Amino acid sequence: MSDLVIETRGLRKEFRSVRGGLRVAVQNLDLAVPGGGGVHGFLGPNGSGKTTTIRMLLGLARPTRGTMRLFGEPVPARLPQVIGRVGAVVESPKFSPNFTGRLNLELLAASIGAPRSRVDQAIATVQLDGRDKDKYKSYSLGMKQRVAIAATLLKDPALLILDEPTNGLDPAGIREIRETIRGLGEAGVTVLLSSHILAEVQHVCTSATIIGNGRLLASGRVEDLLGTSTAHRAVVPDPVRAAEALGRAALPATVDGDAVRVETDDPARITQVLGEAGIWLRELTSLRPDLETVFLDLTRSEQLGDHQ
Amino acid sequence: MKAFLQLLRVELRRYLRRRAVQLLMAACVAVPLVIGVVTILDTEPPSDTEIALIEDEAKANRQAELDYCTENPADYGIGSTEDDVAAACERLISDNFDDYTEYGYYDTLRLDDQQNDSGVAVASFLAILLLLAGTTFTGHDWNSGSVSNQLLFEPRRARVWAAKALVVTGGALVAAAVIMSAYWAVLGLVAHSRDTLATGDLLDALQMGWRSAGVAAAAALLGFVLTMLFRSTVATIGVLLGASVAGSLLLAAIGVSERWNPAVNLLALIDNGTTYYSEDACPTGPEVIEGDPDETYSYDSCELEVTFSDASLYLGSFLLVGGVASFVSFRRRDVP
Repeated sequence: MSDLVIETRGLRKEFRSVRGGLRVAVQNLDLAVPGGGGVHGFLGPNGSGKTTTIRMLLGLARPTRGTMRLFGEPVPARLPQVIGRVGAVVESPKFSPNFTGRLNLELLAASIGAPRSRVDQAIATVQLDGRDKDKYKSYSLGMKQRVAIAATLLKDPALLILDEPTNGLDPAGIREIRETIRGLGEAGVTVLLSSHILAEVQHVCTSATIIGNGRLLASGRVEDLLGTSTAHRAVVPDPVRAAEALGRAALPATVDGDAVRVETDDPARITQVLGEAGIWLRELTSLRPDLETVFLDLTRSEQLGDHQ
Repeated sequence: MKAFLQLLRVELRRYLRRRAVQLLMAACVAVPLVIGVVTILDTEPPSDTEIALIEDEAKANRQAELDYCTENPADYGIGSTEDDVAAACERLISDNFDDYTEYGYYDTLRLDDQQNDSGVAVASFLAILLLLAGTTFTGHDWNSGSVSNQLLFEPRRARVWAAKALVVTGGALVAAAVIMSAYWAVLGLVAHSRDTLATGDLLDALQMGWRSAGVAAAAALLGFVLTMLFRSTVATIGVLLGASVAGSLLLAAIGVSERWNPAVNLLALIDNGTTYYSEDACPTGPEVIEGDPDETYSYDSCELEVTFSDASLYLGSFLLVGGVASFVSFRRRDVP
């Protein structure tokens, strides 16, 4: 039994058009998501193969090649044995528009023999109370997302696969869902979060996988993906004089507007040197790349590689 | 087994809660109701006042004809040597009161006649409406994309397909059997109250109703399997309409026997066998007009029979092929 809740090896998915055209959505993807709780980001530009990968894992699409495992069990062969531990929202929420939100959830709960109290619980968790007996088609996109997330909670899952779960939500809704996801991750549920909102992923995820053109670009802990940086930005009253003082102390510095950009792995030295020169620091920021920068760098180089 | 029954209950609930299915079921009740009421009113026996009027009209018409006969006996083949022309006319011109009531103005409610009349109409409507119910039930799932959601809870596609198929077929069978039984029971009661119910007529009619229910259930299943194959209600209806029009034209163009006409076979299922005209079946020799003393054959002898089992085998094979294609397609194709 593997410790990985999701594992793919050499996963490939081809789509063939009627005219004989071939499009490779996923190519030789090795994905590994460890279990035991936490939120794992699954990132990639539009059309990079995220949703296709998720759909293959959930048995909605057949892989052309490769193997997949959920909780160590090969899927789709043994998907029925593990699906009860997997909650998922794939792309936009898809329910019967003329049924109420509650009826949609009750039908899904009944299909797995879950008690009606689980429906009440899920509705309460996503704060759908009061609107649960309205027709699904009358809901806003944000409310539809809540119904979809409520559906995933009907199973009491150990693995949650969420494909763009905050689409259409207002800022307050995004924050609520983010807190729910973070809470689930901390409670021991492993969440695979596919999102293009990178700030959201950086806020919530402990680890992440980045793919581009159906290929794995990077994977690991978010901290490791971001890497370390020696660049700092110091806001001072006289940037030119500050740059000279830092240069004399063997700290490479360049003027950057009303600040200086300094390269050092010891920011305490910056405050010391500037203080000795009588220059009082107003602001000191570490210029560490955020996930968006890492993501854009990786996907850009992937595209360049493709062109070359 | 328990999981399958669970799934069956869910699909049944989904089927019964679907608004389009509810509307089509309401139509399944309304259409036979209207046809039944019209049939009962159309076959209402004349009242005493109407009978008195008819008798008066019949008598007056007979008297007018007797007068004409007496004045023009030659027109009636009465020779001039006849002693009593009036008596001869009396013998020739009968009291035709029944012609006025039976074949003229009033139909009589007879269940054996109604089987081929309103019975076939009701059966046809039910089959069409329940086919649409089977189509729209699953077409709606594809249209809303909720099939993928359902598969996230029950990924065994064979089970999902089978549960949906059973619910669509079973639902149509029960609905059609109840409606057809009620239809014939009501007509039987009315015929009984009018003293026109012959022994065995009601049982024959009920059996016809149950066969029709079977046809309606098969139609619903056909709608379901095609929609699971094409994943669209509109595509299914389009294909069915296209196939019926193009199929009829093709059969006519290449001169295929009526034996293979789906409508003839459907009638054979509903009526427990039917006949169709075939020139190949006509005896060779000179054509002789029916009623001629030297008649050797009539057009009736040009008819061939399609039995219930022939029709079941023929139409069932289409359903089987469609069903297998639909099942395999649902199991193998990606779900959007």
